[in-house]
Amino acid sequence: MSTGDSRRSPFSTKATKTTATDDQKSGAKKPAAARSGSAGKLLDRPPSAKGGRTPARPQTAGKGGKGRRPVTPVRVSQGRNWGPIVLFAGAGVVALLIIVIAAIPVLKKANEGTWQERVAGIEGLINYWESNAPWVNQREHQSGVLQYETNPPAGGNHNGAWQNCMGDVYTEPIAKEHAVHSLEHGAVWVTYRPDLPADQVEMLASKVRDRSYVMMSPYPGLDVPISLQAWGYQLKVDSADDARIDTFINALRQNATIEPGAVCSRGITESSDTPFDLGDGMGQ
Amino acid sequence: MLSRLSPRTTKIIAGALAAVACVLLGFVIGSVTAQPDAPDEHSAEAGFARDMSVHHAQAVEMGMIAFEKATVEHVRTLGVDMALTQQAQIGMMNAWLQSWGLSPNSDDPPMAWVPGGSSMVRGNLMPGMATREEIQQLQRAEGRQVDILFLQYMVRHHLGGIHMAEEVIKANPRPEVRALAETMISGQSGEVEVMRKLLADLGAQPLPS
Repeated sequence: MSTGDSRRSPFSTKATKTTATDDQKSGAKKPAAARSGSAGKLLDRPPSAKGGRTPARPQTAGKGGKGRRPVTPVRVSQGRNWGPIVLFAGAGVVALLIIVIAAIPVLKKANEGTWQERVAGIEGLINYWESNAPWVNQREHQSGVLQYETNPPAGGNHNGAWQNCMGDVYTEPIAKEHAVHSLEHGAVWVTYRPDLPADQVEMLASKVRDRSYVMMSPYPGLDVPISLQAWGYQLKVDSADDARIDTFINALRQNATIEPGAVCSRGITESSDTPFDLGDGMGQ
Repeated sequence: MLSRLSPRTTKIIAGALAAVACVLLGFVIGSVTAQPDAPDEHSAEAGFARDMSVHHAQAVEMGMIAFEKATVEHVRTLGVDMALTQQAQIGMMNAWLQSWGLSPNSDDPPMAWVPGGSSMVRGNLMPGMATREEIQQLQRAEGRQVDILFLQYMVRHHLGGIHMAEEVIKANPRPEVRALAETMISGQSGEVEVMRKLLADLGAQPLPS
């Protein structure tokens, strides 16, 4: 019918929708819609070319009756129903954002992240900050032989003099009390059991030699072949080619300092079992 | 119910949703990637800050030995001047690295930020650096030998440092990096001239290059 319907918008789907929901009431329309395949085709019935009456049709439909007048095609504008599209697109974008936000920590680790993140990824590393070891926050200067809770020590009170840690490769043991002061300055202290094979000792030395804020020394009584220390962190490994050694040094050298700006030069350069006396009357 | 929204309203909602999504996506991307302005992990600026800090640390070490043990007053003064100045510059470079979100340590070898840089490095030693044995020699020296060894090692050390500063300037760095590198070149070049004269006064020569 010529309705003069000027609604050309995509949302002129009422006719079809109404048709669909009304199919109980107007059975004739349903087949028509089905025949046209989908909403939006011309819902017209070709005027009978054969003249006369329209082809046999149940006449229970709306128009009914004999001699139906030809129906002028009504263009029902094909419009997309934007509502569901917007809804699902919006939900999809939100889902994508949730996935991306969840992926940020993973991506950051892939980009290596902060040194704290790299440290957290070292398998077997002991983090004494996390376990709230009491000595981690003790940093006073004390003379004489001191007792430490871990072997080797990874922090705590220490001698007023530090051990020189400018990439020094000590071939004899050094005093713990000086070494712990070096840890306070941000040094990584590499220790090895004296029976470590010479080629492994050399492998360690090549990582240490001439690098400020790193030093190494043999450590009698070590319970493993190699142990690395930074202030508040420790890692024990079995072999000098363990990849975690480089990761430990690169993550913690200088970063582990609790005294930013402190130096590794001007330290004690000699080996000894017990600390040197600074002669200040603070000793035992 | 959505079908009852007018076409215009639906378009507005769709547009607003798209705009919010774009803003959020941009925010997420920005927070994952590095700050747009900061030099990255492998930049010349980062490499210079890291390697020059190590280089400076040895100058501080040698300067303090000279301050303590050298016999010529001018040499003692040079030593403490270099030590205090270069220690402060280490602080500046460390602060840059922190503000750039970078560690003082790199997985790259020293001087990797310079084309052909690997040929300038001996083990872990930056250009012009002394070995531990040489530092120990300086530490154990007595009398004028302290002055001579210090001046010889430090001339060689400065020439290496000047070279490193020139390399970072070639990489067209940010203004504050360029400024510090330029002052290193001019300051240390002047000190090299002074040290050559002091060596001559002591009847000694710079080390062969």
